[in-house]
Amino acid sequence: MQTTRRDFFRFSLTGSSMVALTGAIPNFLGRAVAQTPQAQRPGARDTILVVVQLTGGNDGLNTVIPHSDPNYARLRPTLRIQNFLRVNDTVGLHPAMTGFNSLLQDNALCILQGVGYPNPSQSHFRSMDIWHAASMADVLNEGWIGKALRHIPAASSFHLANANEAAPLALTGAPARVPSIASLDDFQLRLQASSAGDRRQQRDLLNSVSRPGNPQPTLLDFVQRTAVQTYDSSQRLASLGREYQPRVPYPQSALGNHLKLAAQLIDAGLGARLFYVTQDGFDTHAAQLPAHAALVGDVSSSITAFYRDLAARGQGNRVLVMVFSEFGRRAHENGSRGTDHGSGAPMFLIGGRVRSGIVNAHPSLVNLQQGNLPFSTDFRQVYATVLDQWLGVPSRPVLGQQFAAVDVLRRA
Amino acid sequence: MPQNQQPIDPRWAWDRYRPSDAAPWDLKKAGHLFRRAAFGATSAELQAAVREGPERSVTALLQGRADAQGDELWTTMSRSLADANVGDQLSALWLYRMLYSAHPLREKLTLFWHNHFATSNIKVRNVGYMLGQYELMRRHAQGNFRTLLTEMSRDPAMMVWLDTIQSQRNQPNENYARELMELFSLGVTNARRPGQRNYTEDDIRQAARAFTGLRIVDGRGVFRESDHDGSEKNVLGQRGRWRPDDVVRICLEQESAPYFIARKLFRFLVSDSLDATPALLEPLATEFRRNYDFGALVERVLRSNLFFSAHAYRTKIKAPVDFVLGIARGLEAHRAAGAGQGGLGTVELARVLEGLGQRLFYPPSVAGWEGGRAWLNGQTFLLRQNLALALTSTTDVRFGRRLDPAALLRRHNANTNAQRVDFLLRVFLQGDVPAASRTRLLDYAASAERQAYPVYWTADDAANHRMRTLGHLVLCLPECQLD
Repeated sequence: MQTTRRDFFRFSLTGSSMVALTGAIPNFLGRAVAQTPQAQRPGARDTILVVVQLTGGNDGLNTVIPHSDPNYARLRPTLRIQNFLRVNDTVGLHPAMTGFNSLLQDNALCILQGVGYPNPSQSHFRSMDIWHAASMADVLNEGWIGKALRHIPAASSFHLANANEAAPLALTGAPARVPSIASLDDFQLRLQASSAGDRRQQRDLLNSVSRPGNPQPTLLDFVQRTAVQTYDSSQRLASLGREYQPRVPYPQSALGNHLKLAAQLIDAGLGARLFYVTQDGFDTHAAQLPAHAALVGDVSSSITAFYRDLAARGQGNRVLVMVFSEFGRRAHENGSRGTDHGSGAPMFLIGGRVRSGIVNAHPSLVNLQQGNLPFSTDFRQVYATVLDQWLGVPSRPVLGQQFAAVDVLRRA
Repeated sequence: MPQNQQPIDPRWAWDRYRPSDAAPWDLKKAGHLFRRAAFGATSAELQAAVREGPERSVTALLQGRADAQGDELWTTMSRSLADANVGDQLSALWLYRMLYSAHPLREKLTLFWHNHFATSNIKVRNVGYMLGQYELMRRHAQGNFRTLLTEMSRDPAMMVWLDTIQSQRNQPNENYARELMELFSLGVTNARRPGQRNYTEDDIRQAARAFTGLRIVDGRGVFRESDHDGSEKNVLGQRGRWRPDDVVRICLEQESAPYFIARKLFRFLVSDSLDATPALLEPLATEFRRNYDFGALVERVLRSNLFFSAHAYRTKIKAPVDFVLGIARGLEAHRAAGAGQGGLGTVELARVLEGLGQRLFYPPSVAGWEGGRAWLNGQTFLLRQNLALALTSTTDVRFGRRLDPAALLRRHNANTNAQRVDFLLRVFLQGDVPAASRTRLLDYAASAERQAYPVYWTADDAANHRMRTLGHLVLCLPECQLD
C-alpha cells in the first residue's frame, strides 16, 4: 500500500477512521515536515495558525495605550497607565508586555487597531459566538475553523484545553472531532505494571489480542485497526515528545504550558496546523489594574516564548499566532476602578511573516458609540486574510461572503 | 455484520423471537439485551436473565422497578442544581441516575430522545429548563410520540434553543419550523423515494408563522394569541389558520414521519452499520403511524428476531456512556452504594465522558451526536483504555476503590486464574472472544505469578494487583468497544 503524506495525516490522531495505515507507518510520525519546514509564501500548505482567545473581554484601551490623546486621561481617571512602553508618537504597550515590545524590534508583531463588527453585542456569549462562527445569524452552530478544516482535511488540529473546558464553537463543523488535550500524557496508554518486563508483557498481550484476524471489514476489524494503530503511534509520540526541549524558558502559567505543548506537537512533526487555546479572566469589572497587568503580561511573555522557541527551530516563518477577545471594554472606566463591556479592540498577530508594527489609526476617543470605541476593521476581514493568504483556504465559503483583506502579512 | 448479501425478510425480522436450536437463548443474547436496553449488567442479572428467558427478561426491562428513594434523591438534587443554575454538573446528575436506576431502559430511551431533540445548555444556559426538557422526554420515553412532539414545541429549553421565543408575528423566526421538519419528524428526503423532498422552503416559512406567539412566562411555555399570526397558512398542502399543534399534526400525517422515527430507533437499538431499507422498516412504520405509540414500537423491536440475530449483535460502537456505565455495572458499582458505603460518584466520570465526546445536556449540534465509528479515534480510544485503568486500579484518586475487580472476583469465589479470567470474560463479553485471546490472558496471569513484587507487599497485595490488572486487560479487549 502506498501511503502518501496526505494519507498519513488523514489517519492521524484527529481522524475518526485510523484504519488504512497498515505497514507503512514510519513516515507517519517521521520528520515529514522536513520537506517544507518554511512557508516561502503565505498560503503555503504547511503554515500553522495558533488562535489565542482572551476570554471575558480584554481592555484594549489599556493594552495598546493612546498616550498622546488627552482624552485618554479624561476617560481613565484612576486606570490611566503612564509608564507604557512607547511604540510610536501616539501609542504604547502596557508596561507588562515587554515580550511583545521585543517582538516589535524583531519585526514579528503586528498590532491591528480598531477591530470589531457592526451592531456589536455586549453579551459575552453572544459576542464570543459571533467571533467563533464569524457570523451574526440568529443560530450559530458551526465555527470558522471547523469549516476551514473541511478544506484542509489532511491537517490535524488540537484544542489545548484547560481542565473541564469544552471544545470551542470555533472548532465545530470539522470533518473529524478536534481533540481537546491538556498534555502529551493524554496520548499515552497507561498500564499498571510491576516492572518493565511486566509492562512489555501487557503491551504484547494487547497488541496480540488487537491484531485484525478477519479479512472481512467488520466493525471489530475497525476497532482492532484503530487499536493497533493507536498503540503504535502513542509509543512513537512518547519518544518524540521526549526529544523536545524548549529552546527558551516558558512562563509557568496555563497559557505558557499550552503553548509549550503546541510547540512540542509541532516539533513532533504530526502535521498539526491549527491550535486553539484560551486564557480566561479578562472580565475586569472592578479593581482592574493588578489583574489586567498580570493577564496581559502572561499573554505577552507566553506568546513571545512560543515564537522564540519555534524561531530557534527554524519554524518561525511557519507560525502565525492570532490573539483576539470577544470585545473590548467601555472607554470610560466605571465607579469600581474597572471597566464594563465594550466593543472594538485591537488584535495581535505574531509570527515571522507578519507586517510588523501598527496597522490602522487608534480609534477615536471622541466619537464614541454608546460609550464604546468605534471599529474600523471587521474581524472577518482578518479571518479572510488569514484563510486566503496564510492557510490557503478560500475564505468565501467559510465566511459566507467576500471580505476585503487587511494588510497584516508580508509576502515573501 | 451479515455475511450474506441477501436482503433480510421484513416479516421474519420483526416477528417475535422464540428460542430455537438454531437461535438458542443464551448468555450472549442476554448480554446483548442488557447492553442495548440498559447500560450493561452484573453477573447476577445476566444469570437471572438466562434463567428467565427472553420473554420475561424483556418484560422486566420494559417495566422497570419502582424506586421511590431514588426518585426522591433525584428531585432534591435536580432542584438544587436548577436553583444554582450549575450547568457543569448536569451531565454528572443524569449519569448518576443512569448508573443506579431501577428502570434503566427508561433512561436509555430518554437519552435517545435527548439525541433526537439535541438541545444544548451551551445556548439555553438555564439548568431548570434543561431538566424540564429531560423530564418531558422521560415522561414520554415509552409513551406517545405525537404527544411528546406536541409538548416539545412549548418546552422552554427548546423555545430558547431554536428561538421560538424570538419569533415575532410580523417577523417569524424559521429555526424551529425547519428543524421540526428536518430533524424531528420528517427528514429532508422522502423515506421511500429518496429523490423526493419532504418539504419546500415555503412550507417552512408558512409553518414558522404558525409557531409565532410562543412565549415563556414564569418558566413555562405558553401560547399567546396576541403575539400569534392568526392568518391562513398553507403547510404541506393543507390550508388553515394553523397553530403550533396543527403543524405537528400535519407533519405526522406525512408518509415519511413514521419511517423517520423508526429508522432512528433502528440505529439506536438494532445496528448503526446495517442498512435500514424502507422495505425492512415497513412493518414497523405501518404499525407506528396508527397512533405513534413509541413504547409499543420499542417493545416490538426488543422482542424481534432481528434484534436477537447476528445482524444486530455487536454491530454498534459503544457510546461513551455505554462503555463507562457497562464497566461500572459489571464491577457492581451499585453494591457499594446499596451497602451505604457511597457508590461510585459521577462528577469525575462525567468529566472523563466529555473527553470521550459525550457531554450529556451539551450535544455538539442540533443534529446530536454523530455516533457509530465517529466515537472512536486514536485519542478517544486511548482515553477509554486509560479510563478503564483508572476505574479498576483502585489507586486513582478520582474513583478510589469502589470498583475493585479483586473484591469482585473474591466475592464470586473466583480463586484460580482460569476462574478469574473466565468470570471477567463472562461478565463483560459473555465469554465471546477468540480462544487465542483467552489463552493470552491465562498465560499472562500465570507468568504474572512469577513476577517480583515490592518486598513489603503481602501475598494478598500481589494477588489483588494481578486481579486488577486482569480486569484492566479484559476491558482493553477490542470486543469491549462493541455494543
